[in-house]
Amino acid sequence: MTALLARLRAIPSWQVTLGLALLALGFLIAVQLRAEAPRARYSSQERPPLLETVEQLQRTQEGLQAQILELRRRIQQREEAAAGADRLVAELNRQLREARLAAALVELVGPGVVVELEDSAHSVPPGAARQDYLVSANDVRDMVNEVWLAGAEAVSVNGERVGVTTAFTDVGTSVIVNGRYLQPPYVISALGPADLYDRLAESAGFARFLRQRAEAFGIVVGVARSAEVVVAPYAGNISLIELRAVPTPTPSIGP
Amino acid sequence: MRARRGQAVLAAVLFVLGLLIVVQLRAQSGSAGLQQLSSQDLTTLIANLNTRNGQLRTEVNRLETQLRDLESASRRGESNAGDLRLELRRLRLWAGVEPVRGRGVRVRFDGPITADAVNDVIDELRSAGAEALALEEVRIVPGSVVGGNPGGLSVEDTPLPERFVLAAIGDPTNLTSVLVRPGGVVARIQATDAEVGIDVEPAEALALPATRRTLLPANGRPRV
Repeated sequence: MTALLARLRAIPSWQVTLGLALLALGFLIAVQLRAEAPRARYSSQERPPLLETVEQLQRTQEGLQAQILELRRRIQQREEAAAGADRLVAELNRQLREARLAAALVELVGPGVVVELEDSAHSVPPGAARQDYLVSANDVRDMVNEVWLAGAEAVSVNGERVGVTTAFTDVGTSVIVNGRYLQPPYVISALGPADLYDRLAESAGFARFLRQRAEAFGIVVGVARSAEVVVAPYAGNISLIELRAVPTPTPSIGP
Repeated sequence: MRARRGQAVLAAVLFVLGLLIVVQLRAQSGSAGLQQLSSQDLTTLIANLNTRNGQLRTEVNRLETQLRDLESASRRGESNAGDLRLELRRLRLWAGVEPVRGRGVRVRFDGPITADAVNDVIDELRSAGAEALALEEVRIVPGSVVGGNPGGLSVEDTPLPERFVLAAIGDPTNLTSVLVRPGGVVARIQATDAEVGIDVEPAEALALPATRRTLLPANGRPRV
């Protein structure tokens, strides 16, 4: 025993360090190879240019969205500057401010909840569908619908405002909202009454989501109450190509 | 001598180790999500992004023209009440606070369809460029969610009858073909539930009501 200890002590310290470094090296090489494995499935000559095109188009999109927000801000500024003493213009501006709120063009802040959805960390059992373990557009839409039903007044997902024309679609394993490609985690910011969190937490739909997605497949669902939820403005297009006003006098609608 | 060679080996190993750590960290940041997409998915994504960027570019051009018009009106010292009225009308029609009319598509549902399936059709129509939607007499705006069980669906606390109509204003050919294409949303719904009848027809004249919801936030305030 003492002989063994003596032999161990005789090992120079650099050999111990080298041993540890080689251990870490082996581990990292293994991790690297495993990470490469699924990618290798798709590796082909055309992939790198495709990825590059996507990234470039995403940058263009971000630039266009920023331009739209800036132009809308300047237009509003210009419209309001002209009000002055003109009572008609002042009244029109007041109505425009309301219409912008209704059209989800205004960034809002207030009490609400933030829900975060993330892909499952569980390993996919053999024979099971990998899709079930990822957050889908349907999951994002379901959760957005649950916060609406709980009483939310305004909702955005990863900075994309849920507006009147907002669709949630899948491309492969990714989620597209307002034509923008979003990456997990999906952060749903919802603004609403002070009891929005309790209403969401107690709702049957939310419980069903937890059961069917979180418990069954390990989709990570996080919910937090916040006094200062920020909901982004809609930064997309407003197209009225086929849409027409109903000729005045406006026919009465509803009861 | 042996110790010095050992140190050299150690240095080399640590160098490679550092390199690998950096590679690993960089691989984990960046667009990890894109890496998971197949070439086919990437091609679809490119098509989507191209379409969307085209729409955004059109919007930028429209806004630039609007801003120029406002500026030249103010330089001439004219009132811009006319421009403001037009803008107001546009926003109110789009947001759903005014009734609208136009060409589009009528989708008739019959049978025990799920709320999820109806929401799928609505999403599909929105992606295809629908400008306004209504389920029976309820205009679909943010927050209008179809809920309930098959046979007893409702939207905004309004129960839907067993047979109900979803109307969408937009390009009739576009909207129709997106819904009825092979492998499209209608085929998908009917493949899982043969009892559900979905009838899609282009419409030359649709009239949709205004929303009954108040779209002004009671709890949120504009961020300045």
